Amino acid sequence: MKGIVFTEFLELVEEKFGLETVDKIINASNLPSGGAYTAIGTYDFAEMLSLLSHLSDHTSISIDDLLLVYGEHFFSVLARSYPQLIEKYKGPIELLSSIENHIHVEVRKIYPDAELPTFEIVEKTDKALIMIYKSSRAMSSFGLGLMNKTFNHYNANATILLDKIKADGTEVKFSITKN
Amino acid sequence: MSTTNLEILQRALLREKKARKAAENILEDKSRELYSITQQLKEANEKLQSGLTEKTSELQGVFDNLVDAYVLMDLGGNVIKLNEAAKELFGYDVPKETVNVVRLIYKEDFNYAMLSFNLLIETGSFSDYIARVYTKSKGVRWVHINASIIKNSKNKPIGAQGIVKDITDQRAIEEQNKKLVQDLEKSNEELAEYAHIVSHDLKSPLRSINALVNWLREDYKNVLDDTGLENIKLIEQTLEKMEHLINGILNYSSVNNIGILKNENVDINSIIKEIENTIFIPKYIKIIKKQNLPIIKGDKTRLQQLFQNIISNAVNYIDKEIGIIQISFEDKSTHYLFEIKDNGVGIEKEYFDKIFKIFQSLGNNKNSTGIGLSIVKKIIEIYDGEIWLESEPKIGTSFFFTLKK
Repeated sequence: MKGIVFTEFLELVEEKFGLETVDKIINASNLPSGGAYTAIGTYDFAEMLSLLSHLSDHTSISIDDLLLVYGEHFFSVLARSYPQLIEKYKGPIELLSSIENHIHVEVRKIYPDAELPTFEIVEKTDKALIMIYKSSRAMSSFGLGLMNKTFNHYNANATILLDKIKADGTEVKFSITKN
Repeated sequence: MSTTNLEILQRALLREKKARKAAENILEDKSRELYSITQQLKEANEKLQSGLTEKTSELQGVFDNLVDAYVLMDLGGNVIKLNEAAKELFGYDVPKETVNVVRLIYKEDFNYAMLSFNLLIETGSFSDYIARVYTKSKGVRWVHINASIIKNSKNKPIGAQGIVKDITDQRAIEEQNKKLVQDLEKSNEELAEYAHIVSHDLKSPLRSINALVNWLREDYKNVLDDTGLENIKLIEQTLEKMEHLINGILNYSSVNNIGILKNENVDINSIIKEIENTIFIPKYIKIIKKQNLPIIKGDKTRLQQLFQNIISNAVNYIDKEIGIIQISFEDKSTHYLFEIKDNGVGIEKEYFDKIFKIFQSLGNNKNSTGIGLSIVKKIIEIYDGEIWLESEPKIGTSFFFTLKK
């Protein structure tokens, strides 16, 4: 997993819960990296899982909710780093429906070894989009956070429903309706 | 600050340091990687550059050394480049002056040029375009052009190139040759006709003389003495010989008329039989066919003339008590080779060429006009053949000739 996902995560934890909490969850997790992350490094996904579960324990907030908040935060990171990529799309539906065939294609050009989720489009209209999320990471809530902020970015609102196709969350149906 | 807080900060600092070092290492590796990639790119670029330079200079060489004119133009017909030969031919110095090919097209050839240009656009090329062009220094010239479309790397047509050959002189020579051949054919025809008319015109006074001499003999046979009668006989013989001569010329002049030649299957065996019935063959002379003779394609009259002239020559010149004329042939894939062999007086080697010339007769045979073998030669030439002979004086002669199948 890309280092920036770790560094941004820890910064958000520090911002929301303080440096103490950061120190606590790092010490509690048995991390090969020792919690020393750089945005340009690559680290094992298990470290993220470990950090998440200890943060969840510590804060009594579910992992999904943590991921949702983190996803919302991460959108601003992406918007800051790749504004031209986002400007290409006229609206949120258009952007979200381009994840698979355009955005991820570009991502692979920069990070050939990136392990990306897939977003398969089932249905698409001007105001609605149904996609199937598939990833062994089971981080659909992270995706939901990104989507929420995507609509915000375009000054729009949407109702987004998540349906777990597989119980472990590795396959989830997103039903998005623009309000 | 409490001890705990201090420890937390120290740990955070330690992590930051560690992360920074990791980042520095990663960046260092990346820099090295980038450097090596840059080097590789540089090398590849140099290789490409030198390859391009080589190709460019090769092309420039071809362009400069081309003997024919080379014209490069855009799709609008504006000339972009001319090689030396093209500058010399058209008299324009591109790019110092601009010229459009439309301006070079001869007025009367304009439609043809436009058709060819459309062909070029549609199919990518045209060849063997022959028309006239205006040139600055040499006036109107005939040219032969092969042209093709030039495409860019995206396969889009961007221009056209043409190799232009000045064929003005070549055309003039061709025209001249054509006219010469026509003139020659015409004068040949006239000559044959002339010979025909002259022989015809000669024949009728000859017949009158013959009749008059006859009357002389009939009316004055009691008055004339032996010498007078003998002289009249000599006159009659000479007249007869003259008639043979004139008939010979008539035959000779008509051989040339290839236009009326038939192309039929001719059985040489039946030709020989007919000849035996036509000409007088004394009893002591035998005509022997060594084998069955072939059927060949040709004009029956001419072929009979050919065989008859050689055979009657043989008959005339046989001096042995038993005369033998033997006819044989060989199949030589493209030709038939015939041999007509006699045991006559034979011919001295020095006369071998002379006998085929018109009016050349050896000896004083009264039937010999000196035309027969020249007719034979002419007929053989019509059939792409050759004639030659072998002979031994006093023993005999063999005529060999070939006829194309």
